[in-house]
Amino acid sequence: MKLTRLRSYKTLMAALIFLAPFMILYVWFWIYPIFKGFISSFNSGIFGGVQKFVGLDNYSFMISDPKFWSSFGNTIYFIVISTPAIVVLGLILALLVNMKLKGTTILRTVYFMPFMLSVSVMGSIWLFILQSRTGLISEITRSLGMKEISFLGSWEMGWMSILIATIWWTVGFNMILFLAGLQEIPEDIYEASDIDGAGGWKKFWYITMPSLKGVTALVIILQSISSFKLFGQTWLITKGGPGTTTTPLVHYIYQIAFRQWDMGYASAVSFVLFLTIAFISLIQFKFLMKD
Amino acid sequence: MLLPLVWMVLSAFKEPGSTVTVVKNLIAPPFTLESFARVLKPDGTAMMWRWTLNSVLVGIVQTAITIVLSSWAAYAVSRIPFKGKTFVFALILAGMMVPMESIVVPLFEMIADLGWVNSYNALIWPGMMLPLAFLILKQFIDQLPNELLEAARIDGAGTFRIWWSIIWPLSTSSMAAVGIFIFISSWNNLLWPMLVAQETSMMTLPVGIPTFQSTFATDLAVPMASNVLASLPALIVFLLFQRNIIKGISMTGIK
Repeated sequence: MKLTRLRSYKTLMAALIFLAPFMILYVWFWIYPIFKGFISSFNSGIFGGVQKFVGLDNYSFMISDPKFWSSFGNTIYFIVISTPAIVVLGLILALLVNMKLKGTTILRTVYFMPFMLSVSVMGSIWLFILQSRTGLISEITRSLGMKEISFLGSWEMGWMSILIATIWWTVGFNMILFLAGLQEIPEDIYEASDIDGAGGWKKFWYITMPSLKGVTALVIILQSISSFKLFGQTWLITKGGPGTTTTPLVHYIYQIAFRQWDMGYASAVSFVLFLTIAFISLIQFKFLMKD
Repeated sequence: MLLPLVWMVLSAFKEPGSTVTVVKNLIAPPFTLESFARVLKPDGTAMMWRWTLNSVLVGIVQTAITIVLSSWAAYAVSRIPFKGKTFVFALILAGMMVPMESIVVPLFEMIADLGWVNSYNALIWPGMMLPLAFLILKQFIDQLPNELLEAARIDGAGTFRIWWSIIWPLSTSSMAAVGIFIFISSWNNLLWPMLVAQETSMMTLPVGIPTFQSTFATDLAVPMASNVLASLPALIVFLLFQRNIIKGISMTGIK
């Protein structure tokens, strides 16, 4: 009796020692900030100044804040335009690489390479390609005697620029996910369908597509989450403009917190961002558990 | 796909001050290293060496700490029976749903209160991808055969000894995959370092590059030279560890 008690005490100590460093860091820098942010979302006052409790004022202000809704809407808009593009292009590239022809490994390397660039380098390259008057495309249209395309002058073209840059940057990542999905499809299904006389198109539609359901859902969810986290691209390429038409949620939080130093309101908007992403992640968990 | 990269590299070898207009003779000489020299000259606006050093340092330290601490915690939750395990596990799992972007405001207030703005502490401690690393390493440790650990225990190995001589060496491939992943995301992080590294000397590459480039209005060559220099380490790492990186992404599936 005494011995087992001593043993359980010893293992408890061991568990504690192994867990403690992780948990201290984790609670300090991940869990505590959520609560701190939640509490300060009920306060008002500029950074470093006196904080006053204002109840739900920040939240009711948010509901009637057109800038909040426009940045939320912009984020949703980006999800709507970027997800289908990423899914279709990622899948096409994965199918190309998976054909196992000569040189496909090189293709995989090339498609994936842009993902290794830092967001700042990626943004800089695209800014120099797209910007008016001194940009690469502007120079090309000028030398061809064409009218200049204003990429950053309107919100539609602004989003188009962010979309092009984002696809170029991240499509290789999504290609890898699709590729992993493709390689999990057992060869003998295809062989069986060969005997049944199914053509390439039929095989793709009735075997490949259904088998990739899980991966496609994963790509859609990940793209939605990363769209909600969108910041670098708009910050570097369009600067959120013209006006605030390409300002997504994180960009708006940055402006409230670090331009106006209104930490209470910024915390409230952050909390809404947190709830939204947590909700999407819950769907993801549910989905992964099913598999 | 490759064209923008080729364009970046070719433009970087033009003379400082070259504008986009030289695009027609992009592939024609003269090629020069002057733009690179201009970027590397330590004159207060460009501190490429320092920014690269900061990025590498923060990336390596974050990766090492995340992996070791996550491996310990994953081992404890997976293999050591203790009360409250379910709670600990749920708490860590919940962290997977918290994006760094949604807590930067309170984090910044914490760092300011600690007086850590413009310090390595601020760059390193917040935002480590602990829950992700924990989950992947736990999945791996879960599937190790129990007999392996029992045998070690019968041989008289203690808890730490088992971790050191069994868990750690066996999970190197999972750790490599997670580690590369953590390093890339640290290397790419823009928002957080932008907030806490306000002094030029504390900036990381993603923060320093746009700051430096904003001082050039029409010059194409010098900004592109800085892009090339900033990308070299990551591209070299990629070409060396391509296999692990791709495996890591298929494994984690998290951006």
